[in-house]
Amino acid sequence: MINYLNENSNEIISALWQHIQTSLLAMMITMLIAIPLAIILMDHPGIGKGVLQVAGMIQTIPSLAILGILIPFVGIGKVPAIIALVMYAIMPVFQNTYSGFQEIDPLLNEAADAFGLSRRFKLFKIQLPLAMPMIISGIRIAAVMIIGTATLAALIGGGGLGTYIILGIQTNDNNALLTGALLSAALALIASFLIDLLSKVSIKKLLLGLATLMILVGGFTSYQVWRENDKETITIAGKMGSEPEILINMYKDLINQEDPDIKVELKNNFGGTTFLFRALQKGNIDIYPEFTGTVLESLISGNSTVNHDKEAAYRDAKKDLGIEYKMTYLKPMSYQNGYGLAVTKETAQRYGLKNIADLIKHPQFRAAFDADFLKQSDGYAGLNQKYHFNFADVKVMEPSLRYEAVNNGHVDVTNSYTTDAQIKKYGLVVLKDADSFFPPYQGAPLMKTSFATKYPKIVKSLNKLANKISTKDMQEMNYEVTVKHKSAAVVAREYLIKHGLLKDN
Amino acid sequence: MIRFNDITKRYADNLALKNLNLTIESGELFVLVGPSGSGKTTLLKMINRLNDPSQGTVEIDGVDIRQMDIQKSRQNIGYVLQDSALFPNMTVAQNAAIQLEAQGWDLDKRTARVSELMKLVGLNPDICLHKMPSELSGGEAQRIGIVRALCSSPDIVLMDEPFSALDPISKRQLQDLVLKLHKELGTTFVFVTHDMQEAIKIADRMAIIHNGQLQQVGTTREILANPENEFVKKFFEDDHEQAHFLGSVLAKGFGEVYTVDAEVMQTTDTIFQWADRIKLDSEKLINVEGHILTSEDLVVYLASLKEVE
Repeated sequence: MINYLNENSNEIISALWQHIQTSLLAMMITMLIAIPLAIILMDHPGIGKGVLQVAGMIQTIPSLAILGILIPFVGIGKVPAIIALVMYAIMPVFQNTYSGFQEIDPLLNEAADAFGLSRRFKLFKIQLPLAMPMIISGIRIAAVMIIGTATLAALIGGGGLGTYIILGIQTNDNNALLTGALLSAALALIASFLIDLLSKVSIKKLLLGLATLMILVGGFTSYQVWRENDKETITIAGKMGSEPEILINMYKDLINQEDPDIKVELKNNFGGTTFLFRALQKGNIDIYPEFTGTVLESLISGNSTVNHDKEAAYRDAKKDLGIEYKMTYLKPMSYQNGYGLAVTKETAQRYGLKNIADLIKHPQFRAAFDADFLKQSDGYAGLNQKYHFNFADVKVMEPSLRYEAVNNGHVDVTNSYTTDAQIKKYGLVVLKDADSFFPPYQGAPLMKTSFATKYPKIVKSLNKLANKISTKDMQEMNYEVTVKHKSAAVVAREYLIKHGLLKDN
Repeated sequence: MIRFNDITKRYADNLALKNLNLTIESGELFVLVGPSGSGKTTLLKMINRLNDPSQGTVEIDGVDIRQMDIQKSRQNIGYVLQDSALFPNMTVAQNAAIQLEAQGWDLDKRTARVSELMKLVGLNPDICLHKMPSELSGGEAQRIGIVRALCSSPDIVLMDEPFSALDPISKRQLQDLVLKLHKELGTTFVFVTHDMQEAIKIADRMAIIHNGQLQQVGTTREILANPENEFVKKFFEDDHEQAHFLGSVLAKGFGEVYTVDAEVMQTTDTIFQWADRIKLDSEKLINVEGHILTSEDLVVYLASLKEVE
């Protein structure tokens, strides 16, 4: 754990800072909305109660759902994350501020009116100080919630400590998981403690401090935005797991070798196929590696017969992407990351399993698949149509958990990818696809045609990977990252240098 | 001068005040008295516009108060509430000077003004200025409430049952304080109470209100001597059981008017205070509004009470 922290200290500190920045911004926007709203509504209890109900309702929507709803409107990254956090945090701050005002002894309000005090004087000298303990406790609840929920920002490319939690789950890396979880918990505790301290400060100093903080954070953020805009930035994203992360790190190295002035931003573990494809369409990301099989099965509409010859499949995918979406699909790498069904060596021996078709005789098997595989026509849905397995128990599980479940005997069969490190790690048997059911899955960079036209240098750099990387190479690299916990950037760079694609400097 | 013209106050399901006409002269200590729910507080709060009449007008010095700037006119009206209603987040000094602060006085002038008034109400500013309201006794808190009301030298001071939550000793002390302050400042005081004894003790004039209607207006003496209706008589007698005032002795026709050297007592003093004097000197004569009363009168008066029962 300490080693892990030492090795990754720069990245962790920047994630921590991102987390703090996101949380602080969300907190401030929340306060700027919720507190004035409560002040305006304190004399209108009817509307006040209505707002409370709406805020309460928003809070019952799962945060992932809010993020999902927001993506079509505001895209991905920090903005939707902050909007979602604000929507969550408004409830406790508004409710506490509002109740804080409502609970002031009416006699005191009457006294303030009777002395002819101005509304402003009454608000700042009497009502706000009297409601302050309640307001502070609302802010504290909101801050702790924001810091906790902000870990989800990582799912939509918002960065922060959540990156480590997701990475930890994806790659079964407890060090990463603990780093993310413990740091965000510690951050929440510190925030709660600091806010407690704030409650003892006078309201004048509080407002002053808040204004200063707002200027600082706002200034820093806009400086960052300005600096990023100053440089040409392209964004490359990858799906969940180590393999896409290794690939996009290679993309980055190759692009920067050609043109060091281009700022390449990587979004690891960015989401599933549909999410990434939509992000690419909307221009939130510029490039991501996609598989020929996935393109033909999931992205292209209409005709679903997939040519099982890999070159023909690539040609079809390239042509259809160009026609239907005006996208450019660069040349694929050599390896195939096709689907397969995997069982333990013991299961294979005990039941004499060799081919996929052998599973027909065992409907009592418990199966675990990832969500994509389960619903795709080239996945379990299609397989079941062809072979009628009708397994008694079919679960959806994250890739990394699935292998462990098979290994522990909690499930009997799972889908695998031919390059997965875990096949090697657990010594699993991949059943033969004798009937060529699964389509070819070759990876290649996908981008909009307009992007490819604008950046011929990038296209040239990425094409260096065409026909490189064998299935064994990929399995090896995945093993290095998921099992040995080496950084994907290092593994990617080592491969490129070893194969003469990148100059060692 | 405060004048209520044909005031009616209607709430959703009841009539709090009904066609009420009343004039309070400048400089008098005027008491609005009546049982709880009679409408006396509603009437009081119309003066500083915490309440507006449904019908009718309120005038201060001949000007309809709706035509005045509400904030400015309130700054010229002191207000003492039940239970002192000091702001718990401020020190005694900040509480007392709140109107001055809102009007932009600087700190030194505020402190000087508050200290002066604190001495006037019998508090030591050096000790009390920096206390928090929670550290004060009920009596002390209400003295600060009075200081707060007097701070900006208002023309009118309103007091809404200010002593109803106090113990009997503090209550008596504060009633004496109100009398003293009124005498020294000459400001118009309007005082609301449900306690007839309190009304009799402090009022220059009083108005008895019942069920939103004015029952009788007059000096203590006038009302004692000549209750206008059954309610006033009853309300007064209920209180009378505990306290017999020299005014009611005069009202029964006791005392002769002649010139003699006798101690002057007030109509609002009780027969018990009179009995105290006689205990020391059985031949003691007292002079109440020119009527001379003897110790014999006390005995006969007491005997007459027995007859009634």
